Amino acid sequence: MNRPSRIRVVIGTAGVLLVAFGAFRLLTEVPVRSLLGLALWLGAALVVHDALLSPGILGVGALLRRVPARGRSYVQGALVAAGLVTVVAIPLIYRQDSQPRAESILGQDFVTNLAVLFAVIVAVGILAYLRRVTRERSTAGPAGVPDGRPTEDGAGRPT
Amino acid sequence: MTNPVRPTGSPPEWWPRFSSPLRSTALTARLGLVLGVCFGVCFLTGLLSHYQYQPWGWLPTPAAPVWGYRITQGVHVTTGVASLPLLLVKLWSVYPNLFRRPVVRSITHGIERASIAVLVATALIQLTTGFLNQLNWYPWPWSFVSVHRFLGYVVIGSILLHIAVKLPDIKYGLKTKLVDGDVLTEKPWSENPAAYSNNEDTHQPPPETDAISRRGLLTATGAGIGLVVVTSVGATLTPLEPIGLLAVRQPSTGPQGVPVNKTADAARVRELAMDPAWRLDVEGPRPYRLELADLDELATEEADFPLTCVEGWSVGANWRGIGLLEVVRRAGGNADSSVELVSLQPRGSFIRSTVDGPQVSRALLATHLNGERLNVDHGYPLRLIAPNRAGVLNTKWLKSVRIR
Repeated sequence: MNRPSRIRVVIGTAGVLLVAFGAFRLLTEVPVRSLLGLALWLGAALVVHDALLSPGILGVGALLRRVPARGRSYVQGALVAAGLVTVVAIPLIYRQDSQPRAESILGQDFVTNLAVLFAVIVAVGILAYLRRVTRERSTAGPAGVPDGRPTEDGAGRPT
Repeated sequence: MTNPVRPTGSPPEWWPRFSSPLRSTALTARLGLVLGVCFGVCFLTGLLSHYQYQPWGWLPTPAAPVWGYRITQGVHVTTGVASLPLLLVKLWSVYPNLFRRPVVRSITHGIERASIAVLVATALIQLTTGFLNQLNWYPWPWSFVSVHRFLGYVVIGSILLHIAVKLPDIKYGLKTKLVDGDVLTEKPWSENPAAYSNNEDTHQPPPETDAISRRGLLTATGAGIGLVVVTSVGATLTPLEPIGLLAVRQPSTGPQGVPVNKTADAARVRELAMDPAWRLDVEGPRPYRLELADLDELATEEADFPLTCVEGWSVGANWRGIGLLEVVRRAGGNADSSVELVSLQPRGSFIRSTVDGPQVSRALLATHLNGERLNVDHGYPLRLIAPNRAGVLNTKWLKSVRIR
């Protein structure tokens, strides 16, 4: 095994020292009961992400293979954008109207707002797809290459 | 990659297998670069936020720029919120690595995998709890502030260690075009001919598919996170408030156009604050008292100071009141005095705060907000407002001023 370069040793050492500092402060200044709770949450984060969320995403990905080839990438792109927006929106929806009005916090109807964002994403996805369809029509000519995929020079690639 | 290949045997039938050419070191390195910058900025602005709360004795919080904390805390919260979805995409891109075999190859390898587990778990918890804190939501069994602060060091340290371990991969990933990059699967490059550009000699790009391209995935990720940022940053970047579909706060809907974090009722202070016999005790070498009737005559100074909350919302506001320095001088103090302000609030974490250093000369004891007499939720009859100062340290419903 090659000796790690000097820069890697410097960065890695700095990292280990920062971790040690943070861990030391946690262990010495946070009550044991809180630390046990934190450890449980950290473990739960790994389980929820690695064993629930990620396999779920893979499942959705597998289902998407049934989407017709020409539109698949646009559906995937829209789902990625919509999914990321949803991650942030879910806690807002759960907590909306939970606080006193005077605090001007969480007073919006976040379900409607999320629907608006979905609509924007779907609209952009459809526009991008239509642009591809029209571009293929104009470059492929009357003979048409139905499943052609535009390459960098704009010509369709027969499949 | 420089390790000799060891025969590992075939994984069992049920072992997950990955084939999508979407995942690539070239993709992960780009996601990781942006995520690393976000985490770095978030960490540094987080340290600044801590300093705002507990400034060092020899370096009191500066009074200028007036909007300093507004910017740094807005950046802290925005980079944190943007990092949450970005982290999920980054983790998706390396998910196959979880299924590398053998699970642990050596002690060093075991330590590396454990450090990844620490990084992933602490980063997920740090970003999630930070976001939920904005929503006044604390479903966990620990006190947020100290754990958020110390966990920040663990997260940033784990990231640096991760960068050190992965530096060759990062270099390869960043210098390789997205379309040409390797295919990342559960098998290491050295054992996987289907990884395509898996060595310097072949450079064979992976085959095209009908699925989204790597560039397309980055675009969709950027679009999703961009939407999150522009629709949430309105809580602090006032011009974007109208499109704040995911904004936790809408500053303009607060009383007098300014949000409130703790109402008079929540602080159990309404009766005390509305008492016509209210008075302010000024304690110092020459103590004196101010009564309600005195305030109007004295409140002649005006200032535009933003109100900035640690939770990331902020709003510019016009204040009128009595210069703190004037009050301090009349009691026998001066610009170098340390001034403690005490609230009528019977209990709570922020019933008093100390102003010292440059802020003493700039702070106001405010009676008016945006041209109107202070709303009781904003601290009627008298509150502190100082430039470049965290919201909760601008003590409301003042009872006394102590000069030391």
